[in-house]
Amino acid sequence: MRTFRLVLAALLGATSLVAITLTTGVASASTQAKLATCKSAINAQEYTRGKLTVGTDNPVYTPWFVNNKPSNGKGFESALTYDIAAELGIAKSNVVWVYEPFDNSYTPGPKKFDFDINEISYTAQRAKAVTFSESYYNVTQSIVALKGSAIATKHTAAELKTYLYGDQIGTTGLAYIYNHIHPTQQTRVYSTLDEAVLALQTKQINAIVVDTPDGQYMATSEVENAKKQPDGVQVGQFPSTGEHYGLLFTKGNPLVGCVNVAITALRTNGTLAALTTKWLDIYTSVPVIKP
Amino acid sequence: MSDVVLDLDHVVKRFGDNEVLSGVSLSLHRHEVVCLIGASGSGKSTLLRCANLLESIDAGTITLFGQSLNDERIDPDLVRRHIGMVFQSFNLFPHLSVLENILLGPVRALKRDRDEVREEALALLERIGLRDRAHEFPDRLSGGQQQRVAIVRSLAMRPALLLLDEVTSALDPTLVGEVLDLLRDLARNGTTMLIATHEMNFARDVARQVAYLDHGVLIEQGTPEQIFTNPQHESTRTFLERVR
Amino acid sequence: MSLGTDEGSTTPNLFAPRHRRILVGRRGLAASTISSVVLLGALVALFFFAPGSATVRYYYFNGHNMWQSFVGHPQTGLLSVGRGFVTNIWMCLLCEVLILFFGLGVAWVRVSRSAVLVPFRVLATAYTDIFRGVPLLLVVFLVGFGLPALGLGVLSSQSPDVYGCVALTLTYSAYVAEVFRAGIYSVPNGQILAARSLGLTHGTIMRRVTLPQAVRTVIPPLLNDFISLQKDTALVSVLGAIEAARAAQIYESTVFNGSGLVVASLLFLAITIPLTRFTDRLLDRDRRRRLASLS
Repeated sequence: MRTFRLVLAALLGATSLVAITLTTGVASASTQAKLATCKSAINAQEYTRGKLTVGTDNPVYTPWFVNNKPSNGKGFESALTYDIAAELGIAKSNVVWVYEPFDNSYTPGPKKFDFDINEISYTAQRAKAVTFSESYYNVTQSIVALKGSAIATKHTAAELKTYLYGDQIGTTGLAYIYNHIHPTQQTRVYSTLDEAVLALQTKQINAIVVDTPDGQYMATSEVENAKKQPDGVQVGQFPSTGEHYGLLFTKGNPLVGCVNVAITALRTNGTLAALTTKWLDIYTSVPVIKP
Repeated sequence: MSDVVLDLDHVVKRFGDNEVLSGVSLSLHRHEVVCLIGASGSGKSTLLRCANLLESIDAGTITLFGQSLNDERIDPDLVRRHIGMVFQSFNLFPHLSVLENILLGPVRALKRDRDEVREEALALLERIGLRDRAHEFPDRLSGGQQQRVAIVRSLAMRPALLLLDEVTSALDPTLVGEVLDLLRDLARNGTTMLIATHEMNFARDVARQVAYLDHGVLIEQGTPEQIFTNPQHESTRTFLERVR
Repeated sequence: MSLGTDEGSTTPNLFAPRHRRILVGRRGLAASTISSVVLLGALVALFFFAPGSATVRYYYFNGHNMWQSFVGHPQTGLLSVGRGFVTNIWMCLLCEVLILFFGLGVAWVRVSRSAVLVPFRVLATAYTDIFRGVPLLLVVFLVGFGLPALGLGVLSSQSPDVYGCVALTLTYSAYVAEVFRAGIYSVPNGQILAARSLGLTHGTIMRRVTLPQAVRTVIPPLLNDFISLQKDTALVSVLGAIEAARAAQIYESTVFNGSGLVVASLLFLAITIPLTRFTDRLLDRDRRRRLASLS
């Protein structure tokens, strides 16, 4: 009897293994097939034939880009872009970067790029005006403050309401403050994140809410005291609200189909995970706090 | 107390390289009317302004009540409270009513009681027949009326003497008469005046002395009979021919 | 050629050329009506029949969104544009008072001839030169982020509204000082002579004769500056404060409809248009008076 059950288990295991391999193989095969179709059809869908035109902001920050140069392939989003291009059979030299301020990207109307990559979170509202690709990163929000400030140690849900927050207009960080934290003092809203950081450094605000990887970089490198020493601390990150980043396309742009295929391929072959580990690893070490 | 109210002794005034007054000497006695005549640019206005310390002099002495005005300790504002001046262009303050124009000097400079001055001002306006216009603004008055108000404005300060700079030259001919009549009235009442004027008949009537200026030089001075009937200098004669 | 009137032999032609006759009389009225209708019609047609018209009308002129943005809903981050506009108004009123005060002070220092005030005159000239030269936006940044950075106690811990007002006052006072100065210089010299002849002191002359006239003269340009100031209060949003334009932007980036911007614009116009009309009337009346007194 035991032998029988052992053999059954082994058979089931083997069958499952074969099934999984077959399905993923089939999936891979179909992905590969789709990719092949894409590689040939993509030209017609491009903004500029023969080129992949990618939009992003200026300046752009670590860990998404490095040294404010999207074309150097460094940083999570820069590397991801070139990997997607490779999957679609587009040479590195044919990737063209254009400037699109964050605020403009999700407004309605035809865009002057194939897609925009700039930590743009998918929201239902934005999806009415533009098309998003599937997720390439699931994001959580975090708090950045000055070292030794009250919020660094006192951040229960009740205490969080008492602080003065500042954030960039139109960001999901700002939306998180309004929708989940509900502070009693009116939040300061700045045109750019730089200004919010400046306000934090000059003690005009107590804290900024920004996605965890940005927050990590901000706390360790951007927020400085008068002696140019790092003065920030990432107090903690909030539980996930299901927010994720997607690439942004003109509404109804058929190119999103092929790009999604490329993203799927990168996920399947482990590239996406590798990129995440390489550039965004730190987020797992940030404590979770409740709003 | 001396009879001489204002004395100018060899007064010289230059504007840059241009010598506008060349050693002019003139005396004004109490209750006396002296008329200055001469062509435009002869220095009549400048002379009056120097007398009033509105212009500084480059040489010579000006004496008021026997006190030299060259002294550094002299406060020009104080001096001008004793000297009244009326201008060719009236210069009434457009943002103040007729009455307020007259009150400004006595109330703000002499620090007199406002109500007291008000009574006096209204009486003065009554004398020139403009009491009913007391609360109107200068732009509603004719030129002649404005000039008479300007004269009254100076008189309200109770000055020791009046300086009048061609006060009828900017007026419509029909309005000149009313102003001259007022000045005749003042002369009859013994007001000390130094008047620069083009009105020769008027000068003949009221002046005790007439002084003729040409290019900053006091050419001739004398009684109206002497000057108008029997001018001694060529320059005087030529000028009088032209204005006849 | 002799001096005198022309003894010309032929009668000159007195008729306007044909193509210009259309501009006179009844035909002129018809021509102007037609051209107005055509222009207006073209603009309306452009608006309604442009390819993106429906999108634009929905995005910027949607009634429901206009109301919602005006009233706001803070819990979901939809700040009230109406409430934001209150900030614009009180800032404008408060700053204008400060601006008139400082502007007059600077002008007075610049026109005075007292020896004691020489160093202040130099400072005043430098001040007007600098603050008429640096764009207001930069001044807002420098004051709003610079002062807090200095860490000077009370000076460094004010709200952005205060810093915004400081920046506006610094910049506008420089312009207003020049306007006042021009006004002071425009008072006819005869006025000053007459006042001095009455024995009034310099201070009294300035207060009772010069300034009353100068101020009346410069009321139209000062009103222009006031209208301009009302709009520039929106710049305080750069420092993080919420005023009408910023509240409208937040609404747009949350709900994704720009009707709030139109609401904010209408609120500004509700203040500036009456002021502009009033200034025009003052200018007209002043012109009529001046021309009447000259003729």
